[in-house]
Amino acid sequence: MLPFFQLLKKIIQTGIGKGRLAMATVGLGIAMVLLLIAFQAHTNFNQLLHGQQNQNESADFLVVNKKITNDMMGQSARSMFTPEELAQIKQQSFVEAAGYITSSQFKVTAAAPGDLQFYTDMFFESVPDSFIDVRNEAWQWQEGSTTIPIILPNDFLNLYNFGFALSQSLPQISQETVKNLPVKITISKGLLSAQFTGRIVGFSDRISSFLVPASFMSWANNLYGNGTATAPSRVVIKTSDPANPALVQFLDDHGYTTNQDKIKYSKTKLIVQTIVSVIGFFGVVLLLFALLVFSMFIQLVIASCKKEIQLLVMLGAAPRQLRRHLMRQLAPLYLVTGLLALVLVTALQWWAARTLAAHEMFVSPWPGAGTLIAAAVVLLLVYWVNSSSIRKYIAQNS
Amino acid sequence: MQIQLSHLVPLPLRDKLLQRDSDIWNKEVSFTPGSLVKIKAPSGTGKTTLIHYLYHIRYDYSGKVLVNGQPWQAYDKETLAGMRQQQFSIIFQDLRLFDQLTALENIELKRTMTPKPYCTKEKVQEMAARLQVSHVLPQSARTLSYGERQRIAIIRALVQPFTWLLMDEPFSHLDEDNTQRAAGLIAEECRARQAGFILTDLDNDQHFDYTVYHRL
Repeated sequence: MLPFFQLLKKIIQTGIGKGRLAMATVGLGIAMVLLLIAFQAHTNFNQLLHGQQNQNESADFLVVNKKITNDMMGQSARSMFTPEELAQIKQQSFVEAAGYITSSQFKVTAAAPGDLQFYTDMFFESVPDSFIDVRNEAWQWQEGSTTIPIILPNDFLNLYNFGFALSQSLPQISQETVKNLPVKITISKGLLSAQFTGRIVGFSDRISSFLVPASFMSWANNLYGNGTATAPSRVVIKTSDPANPALVQFLDDHGYTTNQDKIKYSKTKLIVQTIVSVIGFFGVVLLLFALLVFSMFIQLVIASCKKEIQLLVMLGAAPRQLRRHLMRQLAPLYLVTGLLALVLVTALQWWAARTLAAHEMFVSPWPGAGTLIAAAVVLLLVYWVNSSSIRKYIAQNS
Repeated sequence: MQIQLSHLVPLPLRDKLLQRDSDIWNKEVSFTPGSLVKIKAPSGTGKTTLIHYLYHIRYDYSGKVLVNGQPWQAYDKETLAGMRQQQFSIIFQDLRLFDQLTALENIELKRTMTPKPYCTKEKVQEMAARLQVSHVLPQSARTLSYGERQRIAIIRALVQPFTWLLMDEPFSHLDEDNTQRAAGLIAEECRARQAGFILTDLDNDQHFDYTVYHRL
């Protein structure tokens, strides 16, 4: 240190406010830890929900329908979405894309080929291709083609393999086998009928229905349907965050329902958000108090050295030099405090990452960028408040 | 660095001073750089007040103190500090040493105030030896006699660069021998810097080859 500043240390005694300084430092430390924890908890929760390792691929798509209640039974029109309702869904900020599921307006029967004794009535539905989780070159249909690609729900095969087949002593079937089985499909409306070969091209986790390409559906509905397009009763929405409480609120408000499993995080998220906000709020309040005490400490020190400061200025010490001296006394203190808070939060984060990893939940063992930025912002704020109160009180007393 | 006084009158002494004939108060006075100015005045006529006006630590006056053609008020605090480090040095009548520092530290404070000190530590020791205060340098300023403090204040004023040295009865507590030695040192240091000084005192003296005499 320059000899001049060493001498200043003897003249401008900071010992008088030691208690206050300790209080301010402790307050700042606790405030920083609380704030950083709040930021880090927020980052961690987001990582748990959206991180690559924790990603549940189908969680981004929700199939939404109206709740079927007892007094709606028998009135299928009441479960349909009107164009206004569809437009309203599309307008919501949490909906990135929405498409409706089109049902077939004709009868469908499926029969197994050869001497396999299998025949069933069934139905088809279609959705826009961008909502389908099966990427397959075979997934296309052009007018004139006699082969229809079909996507089955994964659950359907599971029901057969683990429910039906076992109980009836029938063979379990692999996905590959199913894909190789051509199915005889007959679609009809009154006397009109047409025959196709159905090929299973994939299994979907996302949409629980028998899906055919949209091009086939519109062609067939045109030809074998009743001529008027029916309103959809199920809507697929794409959302970046199925745990968004606003989404859940929207569904509840409109009597819509969806796969509850996919939105189960929203309650947890709401709780975590509240806790994080409360911690953050206390952090901010404490930080403000710490800043106040810092400022009072500075005022006290400068007021108690008023005469000395005046004489120093009289002798030619520049106010800038005095400010620098005082900042040098304070800055290491809160830099170290900030660093300690950061180290503590890093340790906590490392511990949390280890604990969560034991439960197959993965978060980074290091504090996030947001936390580091928050620490830097708090330190800058403290620096700014301190330097401006030093500036103010030195100007008043010189 | 030119200093001009333009109709300078201290407000508290206004009535009293305007009845007296003065070379300074309420006159146009100009101090040429490098001149050795002696201002003689009896007690209570505002010697210390004048020095404080010249050094811009008192402001209760009418008229103007112009430094390089600008009134003192035109300079901001940082510039003022720079001028007190480089252009103006002062020996206060009441000395104004820091009691919590040793004699040497009081001098060092002033010497190291500028990032590049004007004179060396050895030079300080040499000046202290000349004024016979070497032995009190490590002592707390509080414990020194007034005469010793006065010599420390003189050395403190001489460790910085300046073009004007302001002195307010600088030898009031020194005996004849010590006064001679101190005056010799001051004259030497002023010559080395080609600086002038303004000295106020009660009586006539022959300590310096004054270029200008004024009566306050």
